[in-house]
Amino acid sequence: MLAYLIRRSAYGALVVLGVLLFLFFLFFAVATPDDIARRSVGEKAMPAVIEQWKVNHGYHLPLWPAPGHFRENLLVQHMERMLSFDFGKSDADGVPILQRISEGAGPSLALAVPLFVIELVVSVCLGLFVAFFRESYVDRAGVFLSVFSMSVSILLYIIFSQFLFGTVLRWFPLSGFDSSWTMAPRFLALPVLVGVLSSIGSSVRFYRTVFVEEVHQDYVRSARAKGASDARIMFRHVLPNAMIPILTNVVMAIPFLFTGSLLLEAGFGIPGLGSMTVEAINANDFATLRAMVFLGSLLFILGQVLTDVSYALFDPRVSLD
Amino acid sequence: MLKESLLSPGPFGRSPRFLAARSSLPYGRLWVGLGLALSLLFSVGCTNSPYPTDSATEKVLYSSYAEAPKTLDPVVGYSTADHAVTAKVYDTLLDYHYLKRPYELVAGMAREVPEAESLDGGRVRYRFRLRQNLLFHEDECFSLTRGEASFQPLYQGARRKVSAADFVFGIQRIFDTEVGSPVAEPFSHLAGLPEWGERLTLLRKDPVFKRRPIREQYQAAGSAPGLAVGADNELVIILATPYPQILYWFAMPFSSPMPFEAVQYYDGKDGRKMLSEHAVGSGPFLLEGYEKRARIRFRRNPDWYGAFPQEEPALAAVFPSVNGVQGLSEYEQRAFAKLAGQRLPLVDRVELWREEETIPAFNKFLQGYYDQSGIARESFGRVVHEGGLSADMARKGIRLNKSVVPAVYYIGFNLDDDVVGLKAGERSRLLRQAMSLSTDAAEYCRVFQNGRGIAADSPLPPGIFGYERHYKNPFRENDLERAKELLRRAGYADGIDSKTKKPLRLTFDVPDTTPEGRVRFLFWTNQWRKLGLNVELAATNYNKFQEKVNDGAYQIFQWGWVADYPDPENFLFLLTTGMARSVSGGPNTANFKNAAYDVLFERMKTMDNGPERAKLIGEMRAILETERPWIELFYPEEYVLVQPWLEGVKPFGLATSTTKYLSVAPGERRQLREAWNRPILWPIAVVALLLIAFVAPVFWLYRRGPGAGSSVRKEPS
Repeated sequence: MLAYLIRRSAYGALVVLGVLLFLFFLFFAVATPDDIARRSVGEKAMPAVIEQWKVNHGYHLPLWPAPGHFRENLLVQHMERMLSFDFGKSDADGVPILQRISEGAGPSLALAVPLFVIELVVSVCLGLFVAFFRESYVDRAGVFLSVFSMSVSILLYIIFSQFLFGTVLRWFPLSGFDSSWTMAPRFLALPVLVGVLSSIGSSVRFYRTVFVEEVHQDYVRSARAKGASDARIMFRHVLPNAMIPILTNVVMAIPFLFTGSLLLEAGFGIPGLGSMTVEAINANDFATLRAMVFLGSLLFILGQVLTDVSYALFDPRVSLD
Repeated sequence: MLKESLLSPGPFGRSPRFLAARSSLPYGRLWVGLGLALSLLFSVGCTNSPYPTDSATEKVLYSSYAEAPKTLDPVVGYSTADHAVTAKVYDTLLDYHYLKRPYELVAGMAREVPEAESLDGGRVRYRFRLRQNLLFHEDECFSLTRGEASFQPLYQGARRKVSAADFVFGIQRIFDTEVGSPVAEPFSHLAGLPEWGERLTLLRKDPVFKRRPIREQYQAAGSAPGLAVGADNELVIILATPYPQILYWFAMPFSSPMPFEAVQYYDGKDGRKMLSEHAVGSGPFLLEGYEKRARIRFRRNPDWYGAFPQEEPALAAVFPSVNGVQGLSEYEQRAFAKLAGQRLPLVDRVELWREEETIPAFNKFLQGYYDQSGIARESFGRVVHEGGLSADMARKGIRLNKSVVPAVYYIGFNLDDDVVGLKAGERSRLLRQAMSLSTDAAEYCRVFQNGRGIAADSPLPPGIFGYERHYKNPFRENDLERAKELLRRAGYADGIDSKTKKPLRLTFDVPDTTPEGRVRFLFWTNQWRKLGLNVELAATNYNKFQEKVNDGAYQIFQWGWVADYPDPENFLFLLTTGMARSVSGGPNTANFKNAAYDVLFERMKTMDNGPERAKLIGEMRAILETERPWIELFYPEEYVLVQPWLEGVKPFGLATSTTKYLSVAPGERRQLREAWNRPILWPIAVVALLLIAFVAPVFWLYRRGPGAGSSVRKEPS
């Protein structure tokens, strides 16, 4: 397994380097350091202030390596700083990006973890349920509702739920966030509900397909022949044997819990990393965007490795040697 | 034979069922779990209140903000979002009279508004005498000096005093290039300050010097003759040339006192915050919590100078009397008279909640969770009816406050351009006049601004000295016939160039590529099309637009200007030669260069408001009227909705904090909030019934007994 991990990590490193190069060309081709500086310090700033801002943010260096400047250039500095997780300061407000990330991770996790767990449990249960009653009206209704849930934009869910639950029924606050233990659940209940409703359709459809395929297997027939109850068959036999596709879905998603949900956080005013990314897009905060895209690529690679490892852990037929 | 039972359809399909008759799935546990989850959901929910408590006694002001502040450093923060915090926390030597219009400066931390003293060489001196009992907020940065014997004179008991040296230090920071203040230009009138900044920059090239404490660095750079501590704790400033508008800058946080300990301590190292994320002020409020992406909390500063007993309270420390104040409505007269003389601030705490989206923010206002609000565009028709409040809003006791923002929006011509510019002489002037005559800004305000704007006739908006309500610009009427005649005289009859016999093509450069922006700009080009003029939109992003402006590659553009301070100089300087973008990179984007206008401006800018100044402004306006470097569009209006329990509201327009003048009635607020937000619970029962209706048949069929089971349960035949 160690050899496999080393090999995968080496592939991952190549991908990360590619992403870093892509980020460099993308962001420094869009706006020159002068543009970024002027936008940050304002049109009325003196040229000396703009120059100092560029120095403070490391944008005063030439773009490319040149004789005598093999290290002192934006390309090499960009690679070095990213790889050492020194993301620098935000172009928008000068706050260290690592500080912003550490501040935003809490609210993001507070929303994403319960949403992930509830969505997983509910969708697996409902997937089993509709597979159990397959080709009945329960199944058809389940499939119809799933397709309906998948077809509606999450923005509509957000707006409609705020209107229904916040304005008409007055059950939940419309938006906002408070990190205290007593108030956080009040603010998170509606976003979690919306998150579950908006994503459950595709999950239920997926799990239903997996379970229906699994109940065709011989071991199910054997279990039934031995007199196992339906419940035992579904929960003790079908569910564990359907774990591989479930794990693929689940383990890949775990690293991204950290980066938050862009639309849910922005729609409900939760100051997590998702809404931070949206704000960075709106404010042309390229330094923050570079950091978030880089982190996203790292998490993606981590998710892939974790998925492969989890196969080996959960399925004795899979070996990574 | 054992059938492939699990391949067969389920119990309610047409094929054989596979369900076991009596087997028990763990539904009991499922229902318990579901019940627990629902209980949890409703234990945390069932109220839409975003606040933990709703006190009937504590005076808390709740408001929202859309854009998070970029910085809390008072010499750097320039946007409205920044000032929403800095102006509450950092106090200023001067302040504005809260009720008087045109705006009037009053004393703040200074004992009085200083008079200008003329010195030799055209220099001007102002002496600010500081009040007693000026103290900084309690802060851990003062641990740097509190125990030191040499710093004891800085303390009044355990509290750090505000001294004139702190004002000097604060203003010096504007010229420290590492700080990056955007307001060096107006403060460069202080003699020797720009040179002081240059000396500091030079000294900092030595890395050893750069490591010294900030106070020592500033001292080593020497002093500037235009900024000094005078006798009896006075702040003395000397301007190299007359610039009376400098006093307005002393009513803004840029000139607030800054303790050197704060700059030294809050350096962002070793887990300490940066000064851009922490405020050490001396204002009426102190910052209690700063989660700028979610919530900002303030509380009353018990050590504010206004809180100390004074023989004659400062005007900026009490709610002003309505006596002698013109232009107040009957309601304002009555409401403000009740508050007159009360010590400020009138609330104990302030909570600002971040609301990036306008609709939730506005709905929270309607629920009573914010004390005042703007109006969401989507809800405008529901709230405002024929210029007043709708019956629904009025029934709730909500009030509508309208005010004109001291700002002007305009369409400008690049006068360096060969076609629309000065080089084309009379021909281009007639063209600009014709376009001005066919630009209907009132209709634009009606269509795109929900009527929130007043059509502009000159660069000076209402509330600014020199604005004349009855003045009508003869080229800002809507007169298509006259416009066509002018166009014919210009040699562009029906948009055809008489010289080339080809259609005249003009370009309108706009920094907005959104569909909504396009519709707005097309409104103008369609108006010019009525004259036969073909004006094409060149829409780019803001960066590209800036490049065009910097390169001079633009013809027609739209821009706006919001006053820094309420003086005509702050608008009329936008069209002086010295400020031309092609000359100095200044904000005169029209590149208007007119010697007569410049002479008049130089005379006008240092004058006190009075008939002579008004006459000069009239002459300048007449030049602009004919030359038409701008087509003045409109002065924006602000509509603010105010809850019935909020008092003391007077729209201000300038980027300064008026929070200390606002008062809430918490008991009334709690009652109304409760009445407006009773949760509706009956849908829970309906949903439960629907669930039962859906699930019950499943159980019925599932449990209906032998024979209903699936074929997997059947023994092989």
